[in-house]
Amino acid sequence: MQGIHALRRALDRLYLASGVLAALFLIAILILIVVQMLARWTGEVFPGAPDYAGYCMAAASFFAFAHALNRGSHIRVSILLNAVSERVRRFIETWCFAIGTALAWYFVYYAYRFVYFSWKFGDISQGQDATPIWIPQTAMLIGSIVFAIALTDHLIHVLFSGDHRIESDVVEQSHGE
Amino acid sequence: MEELYLIILFLFVLFLLLGTGVWVGLALMGVAFVGMELFTSRPTGDTMITTIWSASSSWTLTALPLFIWMGEILFRTRLSEDMFRGLSPWMARLPGGLVHTNIVGCTVFAAVSGSSAATLTTVGKMSIPELRRRDYPENMIIGTLTGAATLGLMIPPSLTLIVYGVTINESISKLFIAGILPGLVLAGMFMGYVAIYSQISNNWNPTPEPKMSFAEKVKNSRFLIPVILLILIVIGSMYLGYATATEAAAFGVLGSLTLAFSQGSLNWKTFTESLMGATRTSAMIALILAGAAFLSLAMGFTGLPRSLAELIAAWELSRFELLMVLLVFYIIIGCFLDGISSVVLTMAVVEPMIRQAGIDVIWFGIFIVVVVEMAQITPPIGFNLFVMQGMTSHEMNYIAKAAIPMFLIMVLMVFVLIFFPELATWLPENMRQTPGG
Repeated sequence: MQGIHALRRALDRLYLASGVLAALFLIAILILIVVQMLARWTGEVFPGAPDYAGYCMAAASFFAFAHALNRGSHIRVSILLNAVSERVRRFIETWCFAIGTALAWYFVYYAYRFVYFSWKFGDISQGQDATPIWIPQTAMLIGSIVFAIALTDHLIHVLFSGDHRIESDVVEQSHGE
Repeated sequence: MEELYLIILFLFVLFLLLGTGVWVGLALMGVAFVGMELFTSRPTGDTMITTIWSASSSWTLTALPLFIWMGEILFRTRLSEDMFRGLSPWMARLPGGLVHTNIVGCTVFAAVSGSSAATLTTVGKMSIPELRRRDYPENMIIGTLTGAATLGLMIPPSLTLIVYGVTINESISKLFIAGILPGLVLAGMFMGYVAIYSQISNNWNPTPEPKMSFAEKVKNSRFLIPVILLILIVIGSMYLGYATATEAAAFGVLGSLTLAFSQGSLNWKTFTESLMGATRTSAMIALILAGAAFLSLAMGFTGLPRSLAELIAAWELSRFELLMVLLVFYIIIGCFLDGISSVVLTMAVVEPMIRQAGIDVIWFGIFIVVVVEMAQITPPIGFNLFVMQGMTSHEMNYIAKAAIPMFLIMVLMVFVLIFFPELATWLPENMRQTPGG
């Protein structure tokens, strides 16, 4: 049991840390855009700023997927889930997490190949920034790994204890609308 | 014939995944995977990653988290109280009285927030208890607030319009500017309804407001000046071509941080809460957009968009008839999906259709937003109804019923838009070009 508790804590920390990292990338977007504007006004150029902001956007999204999942921020159609009995719901939840987990690991596998080939062939960004493209792509890879782990975690939880640990939060979801 | 079976199978998977409650973004990815496997011999996984990477790392998308963050910051300030205190003296003498603070408050907050739920919460926090204390009819308080909060989607900044713009690759600042006049007209129509209702209703006898001199009114409104300035900077900089949507969003974040700081409501807790909230909401939308990017690629291979566009063309519908078909179509979808998901899910199919029919895509963005707004206040999944339920603990049915007049006004608004398209197209055509797109 000791080991499981330690694992639980470690995983929860991982999701949160990944979320915080995402938030830092969000701040980075803000800084990049402000610096780029200042540069434009003073007649300087900041080559590649839009590209860097784009990379930060991808990082901010992928790193936050797992954290958003845990807080119930990801939108789903819950009409059916709310209408069925407890037993059927457990079955449907298992199906949803199984599909999600499978897709996420599938994504991780191809994201890994993508990054690996970018690195191996030394691909350079097409934009003005001329960044070796595998560097920002790694953020997508790591973020999707954390997301896949989180989905697997919830799937196992649903299988063994019957419920997942996501607090469904319609108000949180509604902030997107 | 075989083609048809494949398309039916493809659509079946789509409904199956979405209907059973797989998270929308993942469901779209799954459907796209099935579509790619059925219709092409291309390497599915590699295509998926390339598409999703370029969709998620796009520069235009960066406006999204920044505008969300701006709304989250202001949501945690004293703006709610200031708004009621600043607006109510001016509304007290209008027919319909302080109910107008709901509508004007929503309009003002909509101009700093892209979300209708956040608009509802911010305005309602203060106005619901205050209006109740003055004995305004409960159904009017609830109904107008639920309805007017949807202006958050239409008046810039609007998250739905950002998502629409990113999906069809159109200028976000143009879409934003296009939303201004229709938003104001809709707000005006809501106010007109309140004024008429207050004159003909029997149970309308709220406590009258104490008289206030002009100087006092101005004094009460002084707290609103910073917000108005913020709105002018954000929208004005886009309209005059000084800034792109993303840059205007950055102004907005800095401005709202300053505003929160000067009010004393900015501390470590509110700062981190707003930041993490924005991170989650933007991740939620990013996942949907990632799935949608892959799906629209897969859709292209199915040939579904092209054959549908040809089918519609063969029917030789007039522009008006086509829009009516789409209106019904989106109202039905809106019963099952939230606004952003229904926009991204359908645009791959609808875009070729409207382009072929010669409908202006900027105008169509505003059209689609009004229709999506209607879905916000109708059961079973109208988000505003849920949020309102959380705030007032009224039954869902009661809230939905109270909002029916607002729903009808929005339907009217759709026709106003169709017959006066200039409402949405005049301003964007006359704005100055943004440096560097």
